Amino acid sequence: MSEISQIKSETLKIAQKYLPERRFLLAILQDIQRHYNYLPAEAMKTVAQYLNVPLVKVCGMATFYKAFSLTPKGKYIIKVCDGTACHIKGSLNLLSEIETILGIEPGETTADGLFSLETVACIGACGLAPVAVINDEYHGNLTPASLRQILQQYQGGIEDAK
Amino acid sequence: MQIIINGKTYAANPGEKILDVARRNGIEIPTLCHSEALPGLASCRLCMVEVHENGRTQYVASCTYPVADGMEVFTNSEMIAARRKILLALYNLIAPDSARIKGLLARYHVEPFDRLEADPDSKCILCGLCVKACEELGTNAISTLNRGTKKKIGTAFNEPAADCIGCGSCAIICPTQAIEMTEAEGNRTIWEKTFELLRCRDCGEYFTTPESLEHVRKKLGETVGNIEELQLCNYCKTKRAATRLKDGLHLDEYLDSDK
Repeated sequence: MSEISQIKSETLKIAQKYLPERRFLLAILQDIQRHYNYLPAEAMKTVAQYLNVPLVKVCGMATFYKAFSLTPKGKYIIKVCDGTACHIKGSLNLLSEIETILGIEPGETTADGLFSLETVACIGACGLAPVAVINDEYHGNLTPASLRQILQQYQGGIEDAK
Repeated sequence: MQIIINGKTYAANPGEKILDVARRNGIEIPTLCHSEALPGLASCRLCMVEVHENGRTQYVASCTYPVADGMEVFTNSEMIAARRKILLALYNLIAPDSARIKGLLARYHVEPFDRLEADPDSKCILCGLCVKACEELGTNAISTLNRGTKKKIGTAFNEPAADCIGCGSCAIICPTQAIEMTEAEGNRTIWEKTFELLRCRDCGEYFTTPESLEHVRKKLGETVGNIEELQLCNYCKTKRAATRLKDGLHLDEYLDSDK
């Protein structure tokens, strides 16, 4: 099966958990984002067809919410908190450190597909400021040096070692 | 049902919007995102009026606010005039080339902001009128994309839209002429897609795309009366209708008998 038709049938399987009504568009897109870690163009076309919603409206919703990505996200999604507390405690230094090491700015993904970088407004862990969340792992009281070490662990395949 | 606008009483029908009643009676309320052919969008906010209703004062968009019996409306209160000026000065910054906005600036004696710089490349005020027109008249080929400062009007994936029929409704209705539509040598280009143009059966002028005609035909379905008249430009369509009316009224006989 070609990649496109595979995406189509997988998407349809996800979409068919819902009735073909426009109000389920957001929920279906969320499920697709969870499944692929992004919204493939072919998947969006399939959903548009299934719900009988114009494709451009699907694009409108997909580009409106920050939770959706139109390009593949990395294996590890680094969320650097830039809330007030983290900002004061130097979250911008963390971001520039990441840019130095990985060469990506917020919203970008490394060429090897390992890391994506995002900033978040506040994750509610101000006591640990500055904080970064990598996938579901919280890393607090970070310094550029400790962050560099943590990233190296991920680059070395931390999850496989666990 | 009656409503009071600027101290005078006017008749209104249930379901009508304040703007409808005001415009019918020649009361001026400026708009950018409004077209009489489409429902109000309440997006440009220029049509804001002050409403006194049930002892409360509200500032509402008159293009979508329904009339209620005895409601009192002020189209030019101090607050409204001040808000309108700010809005117009801001619109002037995001669509500095728009003749229509320049006209409104002059009409309402608005001093352009000098402490903010206009964006010379920007034309679109993001009112969404084109999107509405495409929904109602076209094929849902465009929509607002992204959000916040990156919000824009565009086609799916920013590619030449497969759905677009080149009807041009979006470009024609745009209050600031922000949508580029060019016509040359019998072709029309819009949203980076080029269409052939059809000639009017009567006068031979280019007037629409085959795709639009097909869309209208499909939309009208069985009810379409005279297929041939679909293939006429607006001018010739009007001319034929007028001729039919004239013949039907037997004006010639009437004029003869009058002699």
